[in-house]
Amino acid sequence: MPVGPFGLDPLLWAIVRLLIAVVLVVALILNSSLLLIYLERKIQAVMQDRIGPYHTGPFGLLQTFADALKLIAKEDVRAGHTDVAFFIAAPALVFTPMLASYVVLPFAPPLVGADLNIGLLYLATLGSMGVLGIVIAGWASNNKYALVGGLRSAGQLISYEVPGILSLVTAVLVVGSLSMVKITETQTGPLVNLFVLPLAFATYLVSSLAETNRTPFDLPEAESELVAGYLTEYSGMRWGTMLALTEYGNVVVVCSIMTTLWLGGWNGPGVAALPILGVVWFTLKVYALILVFMWVRATLPRLRIDQLMSFCWKILIPTTLLNLAVTAVLLIAFPSTLVPVAIANWILLVAFIVLLPVVQQRRLRQLRKTLRARTAAAGVAS
Amino acid sequence: MLDFLGLVVFAIFTIMIVGAGLGVVLANRVTTSALLMAFTFLNMAGMFVLLGAETIAAFQVLIYVGAITVLILYGVMFTPQTPRAYGLFFQKQTPWGAVLAALAALPVIVVAFSFHDAKTVAPPGGDLNALAIAVFNSFAFPFEVASVLLLAAMVGAIVLVKRESPAAPPAAPLRRSEPPR
Repeated sequence: MPVGPFGLDPLLWAIVRLLIAVVLVVALILNSSLLLIYLERKIQAVMQDRIGPYHTGPFGLLQTFADALKLIAKEDVRAGHTDVAFFIAAPALVFTPMLASYVVLPFAPPLVGADLNIGLLYLATLGSMGVLGIVIAGWASNNKYALVGGLRSAGQLISYEVPGILSLVTAVLVVGSLSMVKITETQTGPLVNLFVLPLAFATYLVSSLAETNRTPFDLPEAESELVAGYLTEYSGMRWGTMLALTEYGNVVVVCSIMTTLWLGGWNGPGVAALPILGVVWFTLKVYALILVFMWVRATLPRLRIDQLMSFCWKILIPTTLLNLAVTAVLLIAFPSTLVPVAIANWILLVAFIVLLPVVQQRRLRQLRKTLRARTAAAGVAS
Repeated sequence: MLDFLGLVVFAIFTIMIVGAGLGVVLANRVTTSALLMAFTFLNMAGMFVLLGAETIAAFQVLIYVGAITVLILYGVMFTPQTPRAYGLFFQKQTPWGAVLAALAALPVIVVAFSFHDAKTVAPPGGDLNALAIAVFNSFAFPFEVASVLLLAAMVGAIVLVKRESPAAPPAAPLRRSEPPR
């Protein structure tokens, strides 16, 4: 009879290992959301010249702990005409895919849940499942604001998945693997993929902002028009699970994908000698990206729904498709070197940034012209 | 021991698929049916994982759960929520539905039970390369035909949406005080 680690039966060890992993990941998500909410409030306060939380604990560090305790202790309120089963199921449907994503994140060489052969595809799949819970939450709340929020989020998340996945495919073409560990292992030097594929990074950054419902794409929960969107009827820990845990957990997942694909994952000075040091590098890179997310949130105003959709379908998707085609052609034309791909990508990035305001202004001018013509026609008719 | 475990997992998936499939047909409300359908697809993805085809499983979840079920729910949200009357209207056809389902199921059952001595072929881990070669080399022509079909469907959808009937009322005029931004 084979014996696994600690003298346990392999079958028993598999179950014990699963339990340990789930407990660890849940603890990680809980703690990182507390920390991230604190960081979000403090960083926004600094950027807006305020103090931010400072009363509870040193530097206000315990503020989010107090908030979490309050949420857990709160009464479980459910409005009378909500759809019981779906209302209760929705937070779980949103939370579970995010939890399952942590299986393939490569924190350090000895610290990977499972080195799936299709790790990146698995992550994209789970990313597309979260929208189901949001739509169900909007529908089950039996509230027009929640319904509109759910509809908006369905449209937004499905649309922005396309440029996101196309950017990931561009990076995968260069790396040649879908396994998160192998992707990390190809970028050992200082020349990480960010220098080879800057445009794919930029497009993925934008679409991941949209997929995690972050400003400037937080239309599903736009408080000035929709109260709180699909979260309107939720309170207590259901709200906490859907907003705090899931949103910040998803931000961590998305930033980990970007870290692995473009920033070299766990690779850094000293990792070859001490592999567990990779956790430090990985965490530092992820938090640097999360800082960019918070910076964007403090800087940019929210988009309008038609601007959101036209930006995705008319600008982002053509750009990513062009990038994918150019990268694929150059990779086949020059199989031994990545320099042409890098040059083309940098040129495309500059062109994208320069042309974006020009195209948008032209589109706005045309929109104004058609609207004026329509107004004039209506005036003549009446 | 592990073979037995695989059998148990297979049995759980089978029960879930058949049960959730029955639920899709028998449930009164469209939303319940849609969610149960997503659950059926998830369990089928589990079946693919058991067979060693993780890529197919991932695509199954990505396309059917992440896109198609969400689109169905998107449509359901625009329908009025008066389930009983419509439900009863369709319930009259239950006997005919049962006969048709039985007719369709018969050949499937016959084919399925003719496989009792078939050997199981386990792919040697990582079916992604094999899948890519199959799609883009051996079956390139059917693949292109399928993509042309999808393109035609997309163009058709756009034409249907874009067609403006001449009797359509003009859009509401903008007020002067709100210049479009």
